[in-house]
Amino acid sequence: MRPFSYQRVDSVSAAVQAGRIDANGHLDAPVQFLAGGTTLLDLMKLDVMRPQRIVDINPLETSLSDIAVESGDVRLGALARMSDVADHPAIRKDFPVIAQSLKLAASAQLRNMASLGGNVLQRTRCTYFRDVSWASCNKRIPGSGCAALEGVNRKHAVLGTSENCIATYPGDFAQALLALDATVDIAGVQGDRTIAFRDLHVKPGETPHVETTLLPGEIITAFRIAGEPWMKRSLYLKIRDRESYEFAIASAAVALDLQDGIVRQVRIAIGGMATVPWRSEEAEAVLTGKPLDEERARQAAQAAFAAARGRGENAFKPELGRETLVRALLEAATLEF
Amino acid sequence: MTYLVDGKQISAEPHAGQCLRTFLRDFGSFGVKKGCDGGDCGACTVWLDGVPVHSCLTPAFRAAGREVTTIAGLAVDGVLHPMQQAFLDAQAFQCGFCTAGMIMTAASLDAERLQDLPHSLKGNLCRCTGYRSINDALHGRTSVEADVAGRACGASLPNPFGPSIVTGQAHYTMDVAVEGALHLKVLRSPHAHARIVAIDRQKALAVPGVAGIFTWEDVPRRLYSTATHEDHLVDPDDTYMLDNVVRFVGQRVAAVVAETEAAAEAACHLLDVTYEILPAVFDPVTAMEPDAPVLHDKGDAARGNIYVDIKGEVGSVLEGFAGADAVHEMTYSTSRVQHSHLETHGSIAWKDETGRLHVRTSSQAPFIAKQKLCHLFQMSPRDVHVFCERIGGGFGGKQEMISEDLCVLATLKIGRPVQWEFTREEQFIGATTRHQMTTRVKLGAKRDGTLTAIDVHVVSNTGAYGGHGGETLAAALGNPLTAYRCKNKRAEGYAVYTNIVPGGGFRGYGASQTTFAIESAMDDLARTLGIDPFAMRRLNMVRPGDWMESVWKDPSDVTFGSYGLDQCLDLVEDALSSGRGAEPPAGENWQSGTGVALAMLDCGPPTEHRSGAEMALLPDGRYHLAIGSTEMGNGSVTSHRQIAASVLSTRADQVAIINADTDLTPYDTGTFASTGTVVAGRAVDAAANALLDNILDFASRHTGAPTSECHLDDDEIVCGNRRMSLQDLWKAGHAVGHRFEAKRKAYLSPRTVAFNVHGIRLAVEKVTGEIRILQSVQAADIGRLINPMQCRGQIDGAIAMAIGWTLTENMMIDDHGAVINPAFRNYRIPAFADVPESEVHFADTYDAIGPLGAKSQGESAINPVAPAIANALANATGVRFAHLPLTPDRIFDRLSHDA
Repeated sequence: MRPFSYQRVDSVSAAVQAGRIDANGHLDAPVQFLAGGTTLLDLMKLDVMRPQRIVDINPLETSLSDIAVESGDVRLGALARMSDVADHPAIRKDFPVIAQSLKLAASAQLRNMASLGGNVLQRTRCTYFRDVSWASCNKRIPGSGCAALEGVNRKHAVLGTSENCIATYPGDFAQALLALDATVDIAGVQGDRTIAFRDLHVKPGETPHVETTLLPGEIITAFRIAGEPWMKRSLYLKIRDRESYEFAIASAAVALDLQDGIVRQVRIAIGGMATVPWRSEEAEAVLTGKPLDEERARQAAQAAFAAARGRGENAFKPELGRETLVRALLEAATLEF
Repeated sequence: MTYLVDGKQISAEPHAGQCLRTFLRDFGSFGVKKGCDGGDCGACTVWLDGVPVHSCLTPAFRAAGREVTTIAGLAVDGVLHPMQQAFLDAQAFQCGFCTAGMIMTAASLDAERLQDLPHSLKGNLCRCTGYRSINDALHGRTSVEADVAGRACGASLPNPFGPSIVTGQAHYTMDVAVEGALHLKVLRSPHAHARIVAIDRQKALAVPGVAGIFTWEDVPRRLYSTATHEDHLVDPDDTYMLDNVVRFVGQRVAAVVAETEAAAEAACHLLDVTYEILPAVFDPVTAMEPDAPVLHDKGDAARGNIYVDIKGEVGSVLEGFAGADAVHEMTYSTSRVQHSHLETHGSIAWKDETGRLHVRTSSQAPFIAKQKLCHLFQMSPRDVHVFCERIGGGFGGKQEMISEDLCVLATLKIGRPVQWEFTREEQFIGATTRHQMTTRVKLGAKRDGTLTAIDVHVVSNTGAYGGHGGETLAAALGNPLTAYRCKNKRAEGYAVYTNIVPGGGFRGYGASQTTFAIESAMDDLARTLGIDPFAMRRLNMVRPGDWMESVWKDPSDVTFGSYGLDQCLDLVEDALSSGRGAEPPAGENWQSGTGVALAMLDCGPPTEHRSGAEMALLPDGRYHLAIGSTEMGNGSVTSHRQIAASVLSTRADQVAIINADTDLTPYDTGTFASTGTVVAGRAVDAAANALLDNILDFASRHTGAPTSECHLDDDEIVCGNRRMSLQDLWKAGHAVGHRFEAKRKAYLSPRTVAFNVHGIRLAVEKVTGEIRILQSVQAADIGRLINPMQCRGQIDGAIAMAIGWTLTENMMIDDHGAVINPAFRNYRIPAFADVPESEVHFADTYDAIGPLGAKSQGESAINPVAPAIANALANATGVRFAHLPLTPDRIFDRLSHDA
């Protein structure tokens, strides 16, 4: 690991000041925020990230790690640890999709360390991104090309891709946030703002190295969910190569408002398949106002993956994604509470 | 900054960029291990304010002012933490390298998390145990038995180093601070095949702290093989320590030695190497073609890239197939996998004040490593000392000399101690792997199932260097064919050089690969004929009295010291039909099936293998046992003590053992080829018997009682009516100049055979391709069990390793010959959740050849597992999956298209 200097900040305003040249977390940015460190330290050891200064925001834990469920609404501080949120009784009871997505991710040690804010910003596991000996990676070196297009790409994305990048967004929790229509509180040099979670990430397009809409110096302070009783009918289904510890090869987060067999509202997010946390309004439209049965679930899955495109080794993924979504929808429909 | 580590205050400034793991080790906390350095394996787990974290991913700064607890701080006032005690009671470790981190995680679990171990233990990997003994520890089960004088053999006695393992005090290879040691790092080739035109060191030499840079121009130009065998001629001398031609991505290009690891690494990055790119070939079949680029120019153009070919035929397969009612032919293949012992390769070299060289290393064969060092540097054997302390797993990966040479080179050139520890990535790109083999099997049989012909064609991809290439190929064509009686057998195999990371020895040693192919084919043929797979095997399996042969007519030294294959098949069949195991998940998408496969093992290699043991009675009445054999988690220090104790009618605890040290122990070829019990164990048996004779003889003379009336009884000797302590006997002997010492050697011939049968019942989700193993059962014919707990542990561990090989592990090589998943993050060895608990049964046999009736068992258990899983999958789906690994996408793909 290359040498770096270390700075600890004890207020949000000091953090955004210190981080104003963090350039949206770009790999070449000289300053990086340190929360749990599980992505940052890992990538620094691999020489993918080479910050000169690390700004440790953990002292903000006192104000930014709350887990509040009040009159049905949820506020999750950005420095809350994955393990604490996954174990929170009200979250487990009323928003199972959140608890499940967190519990199925990573290991106990990592969940003890990793923050929610860092979790949604975690970097792709694309091999070509993580190994600096590869010359081509548009995320690492803009304009250098994408080795994965013709490379080993079994686990790469089939949705939201471009000719410049097909790296899969690796997280689980983000899909849960999408399925609950969460918002994100952001603090920055120019003041605070709140955006829909779905507007946080951006597809690779022409600029794969730009992964979010965060501005330089901005930090996520909290996630909010406007709770509804029907969100108890939510779940996260994760398909992976093995049972224990693995990133999703396909996943689906579903929150379903079902009354008398009719879908009043549904929110569907898909993981392991796309370059960003992926909400499928196409699939939602197929189901809304209709009875939910297997045939309808299949139609929704068709709609969700209508635009999917495989390249080589990942050609199997759309079909796997469809089957995963069908299973998630049917399981959600049978949940009892 | 001040740190509170295990209750002690430390005032220190971490280096810029230092993680907590190395910071703690700098202050002597060697219980904090490095397994991956990337947050995947959990070996470095410590508590921060009571919460377990990966110290390798925690900046040292983050721990300032917080309470850090390592394994060494878990015991309070010398009283073990209940979890440490539980790990001892269940002996929940083999090599013990993962244990410190595993205990730190386990000791933090509350009642709820203890209920959900598959999730709670996701962050800790163990490569040895298969997690069964860890599960036992977490459920408070005790596996160790009492150490009773005279009954050591056959008892489940604990590892003598257990207490130091569970407290983090056991010193593995890198767990010492050598004063003034320099750190070595290696620049590795980015190209699969290239000639080094020039290396500019200028910028690298300017890095502060750099003490030396070595390239091919600085090393003795002597060919050798990194593979270790008694007879070095069984491996090709095709390697230079550093070469001016690189033949795979990851091959060493240059070594940099510096005051710190960081400086050495920085200097590696600054070496400016000019390469002339050469054409490369990755596929072994393409590599055999006449116009393929040739890797090793040996002046014999006709052979091209074929390192070795092995052919043989008994009877006539042509006639055999002509007389067959059914013929099955298919090609099966196995993947390239890595041993993934949690302790990476590493060694430390230094010279003492007399100029003598000492090498502390992580090796399965320190004596052969010494020979190779003497050869490379033209040193006299008396000037070199190679030794091991604790070793964190081997599985064949450490049957190589691949870190010692550069440390010695640098020490000889610079005069200071030099240490080098492989990174996890280097394990994948710069060590050895299991040979990838593609096997075409053709079987012919009569309508009743009687085999009429076996024809096997194997192409083994030995990678850029040929170490173990010939021996693994010979093993591939050996036992898997010998296991069946059939008049007509033919085999043809090629070990072929390609520009990828080399193959090496790996538990099962070539036989695993062809066992997968042949056992799969036997099932396919049985299905064609409508014969039950158990019946098919019983009809054709080798039996006592049979002439044991594969495809070579020459007589072998293998014989039936005992036979329990029939029992093994019965045990597995009974277990599978017992209704035990898990129910398949509900839903019509889940299909269930069962499968079986068998494996046979010649106990010990066909090449020479020697061991020596030395024993002495000590002044305090205890015994000293010195044995050259390495302990790497295989359990030999425990079983060797038991063998000695058994012969000397005492408790194992009375025997102090040292091992694997070229100064302090007799010569030993190495711990590989399943020889720990049948060769080294036999040397211990012989030395103990010799010492027994020595003691009884002296006692008889001393007391006047005839030797027939003298016998040992724990720490006393009884001579007629007289009973005296061994302490007093030693004094009496010492007074008259008698030496209570004995030394014996063992050599392996004739050899006996062991058998393993594995049964699997599984369910497969036909949509997602997900496999759930519902029942896993193995029956082993390994003779008398010297330590039943350890025997079971070896089998549990082998099964887990086989499950990884079958379902998830695969080194992916891209179009340029590079390994693209060189980390546990994307090369998946099984975690707790991935390994079902297996039933393990033993055939009731007592071997006439092995020591005290025991046979080999370290390796063979791995061999029948993959085909048993594949056979169960074929039984469940009606589709044969002939290529490992059986990943969900491959299954899903076939099932959705073939349906």
